[in-house]
Amino acid sequence: MSLIALGEQVLNGLILSVFYALAALGLAVIFGVLKIVNFAHGELYMIGGFAYYGVASVIGLPPPLAVLAAFALLFGLGLAIEWLLIRPVHEGKVERPDEYAIMITFGLAILLQNFMLSLFGPWTLRPPALFRGGIEIGALVVGGDRLAAAALGVVLIACIIYVLRWTWAGKAIRAVSQDRETAAVVGVDDRLVGMLAFGLGSALAGAAGALMGPVFLAHPTMGVIPAIKAYVIVVIGGMGSVPGAIVGALLLGQVENLATVLIPDTTRALAYKDAYGLVLLVLVLLLRPQGLFGERARRL
Amino acid sequence: MSVLLAVRGLTKRFGGLVALDGVGFEIAAGELVGLIGPNGSGKTTLLNVLSGFYAVDGGDAWFDGIGIGGRTPAELSRLGIARSFQVTKVFRRLSVLENLLVPGLIEWRTSRREAEQRAHAILGGLDLDRLADERAAHLSGGQAKLLEFGRLMMLEPRLVLLDEPFGGVHPDLKRLMYDTIRRWNAAGATIVLISHDMSAIFGLCRRVLVLSNGALIADGAAAQVRDDPQVLEAYLGDRHAAATTA
Amino acid sequence: MKANPATAAGALLLLALLVLPLAGVDEYWIYILTIGFYYAILAASWSLLVGYVGRISFAQVAFAGIGAYTSALATTALGWPILVGIPLGVLVAALVGLVIGRLCLELHGAYLGLTTIAFSEILRIAITAEYESTRGSLGLSTPGLFATTDRLPYYYTLLAALLGSLGVMWLVLRSRIGLFFNAIREDEEAAASLGVRVGRWKIVAFTLSSAFAGLAGGLYAHVVQLVSPAMMSLGEMGLILSMAVIGGFHNIVYAALGGLFLEVLLEALREIGEWRLTLFGLLVIVILRYAPNGFFGALAQRLGAGRRSRS
Repeated sequence: MSLIALGEQVLNGLILSVFYALAALGLAVIFGVLKIVNFAHGELYMIGGFAYYGVASVIGLPPPLAVLAAFALLFGLGLAIEWLLIRPVHEGKVERPDEYAIMITFGLAILLQNFMLSLFGPWTLRPPALFRGGIEIGALVVGGDRLAAAALGVVLIACIIYVLRWTWAGKAIRAVSQDRETAAVVGVDDRLVGMLAFGLGSALAGAAGALMGPVFLAHPTMGVIPAIKAYVIVVIGGMGSVPGAIVGALLLGQVENLATVLIPDTTRALAYKDAYGLVLLVLVLLLRPQGLFGERARRL
Repeated sequence: MSVLLAVRGLTKRFGGLVALDGVGFEIAAGELVGLIGPNGSGKTTLLNVLSGFYAVDGGDAWFDGIGIGGRTPAELSRLGIARSFQVTKVFRRLSVLENLLVPGLIEWRTSRREAEQRAHAILGGLDLDRLADERAAHLSGGQAKLLEFGRLMMLEPRLVLLDEPFGGVHPDLKRLMYDTIRRWNAAGATIVLISHDMSAIFGLCRRVLVLSNGALIADGAAAQVRDDPQVLEAYLGDRHAAATTA
Repeated sequence: MKANPATAAGALLLLALLVLPLAGVDEYWIYILTIGFYYAILAASWSLLVGYVGRISFAQVAFAGIGAYTSALATTALGWPILVGIPLGVLVAALVGLVIGRLCLELHGAYLGLTTIAFSEILRIAITAEYESTRGSLGLSTPGLFATTDRLPYYYTLLAALLGSLGVMWLVLRSRIGLFFNAIREDEEAAASLGVRVGRWKIVAFTLSSAFAGLAGGLYAHVVQLVSPAMMSLGEMGLILSMAVIGGFHNIVYAALGGLFLEVLLEALREIGEWRLTLFGLLVIVILRYAPNGFFGALAQRLGAGRRSRS
């Protein structure tokens, strides 16, 4: 493969990493604060994609505003979901909270995916792109739509990191992530933070869906594969770790691209593309469950 | 009397923290020994090592001549070591009776009927038999602690390690627990009792071990240990100890 | 089992199922019920793992797929008889279950869930990719169990398999092994401290659950006579989860009933298309939140089955 083609592959991998990172970040924030894996994350991503379509195509707002609208909408949806479904876990009302959270988010995924399938059918929609045409970076040519989307994604990620590091809300989130009880003792409303965390996590998923929709088309099952990528990333990076999610996303993006390029039997390599990340996930969970940046859980 | 539990130079580290620092002692069969020490002194860590939940980093421990190191909790339980937990760990959605049947049926040769008979007898001694079919989750804190005793009794253990069994228990139930421990010991079980309840320790135990910062600082008759300046220092700090012994 | 209204209702249902085909019910519904029995075995074997041992797994459909593809490949590529193919499918599924169960011993909760999802998806992707042997997404044609096109023998075979599977599972669960399973679910450490060989029983449970899933898959292959990776999709896993949860995943009989009834409902509501699954998703949420014993668990309680809804 020529150097230019390889370069374009790497660039595409980086762009994809941004989208994956957004989705994975949402998952990391939710796990960090609420200690649950949100199995409906892919569907929230998908609803974000449809929300963007609705605001950009149907209502007609300019694309960047539509992304923000999707972000806000999913934030609200996330708050509602936490309040209705997840809250009982932390109020001691559930006998087996881990199991409950897993199954109820899985049920939510079934509900949301099929709800959208019922409304929109299996057909794809093409939401308006942020930027049309190709862009040249030196000798490399890359789609302008995806580059613009990635750029906006990077801005969003930077904003979230800023919020988590420097704002009071962000510090509250990090406090509850580290030690819920102590945070509550020093006056942090841990239930409110939990709700905000789920809202933020959902909003990030929705933003990722909004940005990816124009690039990869929107349809009700668009969230299934990105969700699995997000799980892989969060496991590799370390559950609940924000830098871990970003590093993990970069890693996965490159692994997937390069594996397809480097493995000689190209058709086979492509057919197995989605499996590489999964194999990584299994290896990490079996050999180093805390991932790259996570904490080792201590029993007893 | 034969030595049942021998510990020599036992060390346990968690990263940079030394939780147990070269602990050594011997316990003979039939003793009822108290284990005390300030919070964080390593009492529960010692229990966890002796029951197979933690690996040993240095030193050795032997139960009836058999090495404890490297064995799983289930193995040690079958060898005759039983332990309770600081946080009550009853099987909440099983009935009181079923809680006892779990250890009771470990031995494949024991039939269900035999196990149930023994369980009812033990529950009777703990005043829990009328609650045999109740879900364990419905028991009060003290009753749950008694249920834990009952579970351990089903194992007919030779060495019983009790980790702070009296926490938050109603005084009446505490009396029943003290009696139960005495009867258990009288029936032949060797018991190591961790507790902050000094009246229990000095009321039940003739010998007391004291841990402080992972090291064994006292090992002797209860009355002597109580007045040991090092023990006082560990609990109350240097100045206070100096004042009382001056 | 005690004589009470719930058991009586169950016996009546069993009688109805035995007699139904002879009572002139439409062949189409006989076929649907046959598929329902397949789902019932899957839902019940899943609930054994999740409800009794407390180990959440999303690989149930993968094991069904292993059973199906093993038997399919054995009978088509190797030309072996179905009576060898299906047991072989069970064996392979059980062996893979044993290995995965052993690997996942130290995993719990969502980590275990994610690992089982990964295994399941890797398997599905592999089967799809190796289309030279498996015909990929096109699917592999398999011979039918019986030479006739009559639905009855298939119906009774699957029903017998369901009853047999439930019977074996029930025998294990009411023995001390079932007690150890429950103890592991309630508190692994306490169980270990009492002498329960936690690792061994976890592996046994996983192997057992996979074996029954493999049996269901193997039979399915020769009933539907076409195996495709679609039977191992996450969507199918979601369906099994819904069936078990809605039926009552703490009890293998309720879970099985969930499988049967939801399959019938799926067909009965065919006109409303994807809204069926939307409804199931909603039911899963509502039941987990407000009636964790499941529909049949709540029903049995109403009928006075007693305090505990465990079989």
